[in-house]
Amino acid sequence: MHILNLSLRHFRNYEQLEFTPGPGVSLIYGNNASGKTSLLEALFYLATTRSPRTTNDRELVNWHAREEAVAPPFARIAADVQQVSGYIKIEVLIQLRSQEQHENSGGGSQKLVRLNQRVVRALDLIGQLRVVLFTPDDLTLVDGAPSNRRRYLDMTLSQLDPHYVRTLSRYNKLVQTRNAMLRAWRERRRTLRSVDEELAYWDDEMITAGGYVLAERLQAVADVNTLIKPIFQANTGEAQELHIAYRPSFDFAGMTEAHHLVEQFRQTLQQRRSEELKRGQTLVGPQRDDLLFTVGNVDLGRYGSRGQQRSVALALKLAEVELMRMRSGDAPILLLDDVLSELDLQRRKYTLEAIRHPHQQTIVSSTDLGTFDGDFLSAVDRWRVEQGRVYRG
Amino acid sequence: MASVRPLQQLLIEPVATLIEELSRLPGIGPKTASRLTFHLLRSSETQSQALAQAIINVKDQVTWCTRCFNIAMSDLCPICADSTRDQSRIVVVEEPLDVLAVERTEVYRGLYHVLHGHIAPLEGIYREHLRIAELLQRLQTEPVEEVILATNPNTEGEATAYLLLKDLAPWGIRVTRLARGLPTGGDLEWADAETLGSALQGRREIA
Repeated sequence: MHILNLSLRHFRNYEQLEFTPGPGVSLIYGNNASGKTSLLEALFYLATTRSPRTTNDRELVNWHAREEAVAPPFARIAADVQQVSGYIKIEVLIQLRSQEQHENSGGGSQKLVRLNQRVVRALDLIGQLRVVLFTPDDLTLVDGAPSNRRRYLDMTLSQLDPHYVRTLSRYNKLVQTRNAMLRAWRERRRTLRSVDEELAYWDDEMITAGGYVLAERLQAVADVNTLIKPIFQANTGEAQELHIAYRPSFDFAGMTEAHHLVEQFRQTLQQRRSEELKRGQTLVGPQRDDLLFTVGNVDLGRYGSRGQQRSVALALKLAEVELMRMRSGDAPILLLDDVLSELDLQRRKYTLEAIRHPHQQTIVSSTDLGTFDGDFLSAVDRWRVEQGRVYRG
Repeated sequence: MASVRPLQQLLIEPVATLIEELSRLPGIGPKTASRLTFHLLRSSETQSQALAQAIINVKDQVTWCTRCFNIAMSDLCPICADSTRDQSRIVVVEEPLDVLAVERTEVYRGLYHVLHGHIAPLEGIYREHLRIAELLQRLQTEPVEEVILATNPNTEGEATAYLLLKDLAPWGIRVTRLARGLPTGGDLEWADAETLGSALQGRREIA
């Protein structure tokens, strides 16, 4: 798929923007803080209804919008997308709430989502536009906290499978509910008399949703493992293979069908009930899982060099592109935010080759055109970004 | 954009108080509260007094039915007091408004039991906060043959129904749950997948 047009209004430092990238590679360049990352952020937001940079949507609304007399201030992100199967229009309005509304409702902003001009729920937008974003921060995928790796899997699967987003969001709420119950018991706010009976419903629901989430993640990791090997090999020249292992919070003896996972999940939950009551928290389930990256039995998260970790992060993103292409039959849009300048010559060359695929829309941001050779520069669309404006050339 | 808060210092006290009281109501923000207040200021004396009296009456005269916890003006609500109703069936609902909803169907002539909420651990609402013990008490004294669980078809409502089912199992009475399915006059192609799915699962023989 590719974007025909991205339209921004009062978003970050853009007061108004119409951006029309070609179906191939677009290079956007400019100084720091000119608006390159915000442009990629807007596309990521349309794909996932979330910003990769902040959990507070209020920050996305341009300051000028707040000074204008029109009430209430808003940011608008819209795009026309050409999919393999057709053409869609998507739009998100982020509206700030006034101070009093804010206090009443507990949220600083609300979003209105439209798909082909019809209002839909935010969950219904996810997966319409698919993107893979790679930023310098993605090194934390390898050496950071487990939550980074879980979010990577969840973001990828959410864009591919509408049922996954819904099940995951339901699962997370069920875990929270269960945690609230366990906490109340731990703090002796409630009598322990009917623990099993009261947990039964929530356990059943959580196990069913969690079993699905886990099965989908395991399948994705298996697929990515196949896809990532050649990519990693080509961009590092390493003789040994990269392997991704899924580290679950309970043992399922390699049997990855959902019904088997559900059964193991249930048994583990039973075994750890007293521990859960003592800690006041759910201790089992995909919310506690992790990924491990190894080359020849060496854990790269812990012992890998900076260069190796960067290669893993890059290979992971390129494998994600392939996974999306393979599963949906439609390539996602690849967003490379200022990452090429950090790669060494060989990896940069490999990456630039990889993205010059005829059906691969890629948007590359950089502060420095010197990173690229003349061949590359003459083959791509160039856009100069300056203080919230974009100029061709 | 001018906010209501600083303006309040300019308002004379009774006006500010009414705005504040109204804005405590669910679904009413400061703007709506101000609009209602100024509407009342302009309306006739009798109109405002009728409203004030209605609010006082609701608190003075209306209580909960001692049997089913529906709204009532005396010990028993009109439904419990009506001896012509089928005493062997109880529909269990979350709120008094749900009683009205079931009554509007005009296909049910039995009794009710209002739980006054649903299980919601995230909001700190557990079984001990609902009228569940009172329901079980009724089973001891009343000739109940069937309990129909009509809690809402969402997670909290299902959790509540599940607990009730366990509580009711030892009583050896018939326990049923409202069917989930398609709205009358609707179109299959516009039904959401989940509703259509449960309609399929809950399908029944027609011949």
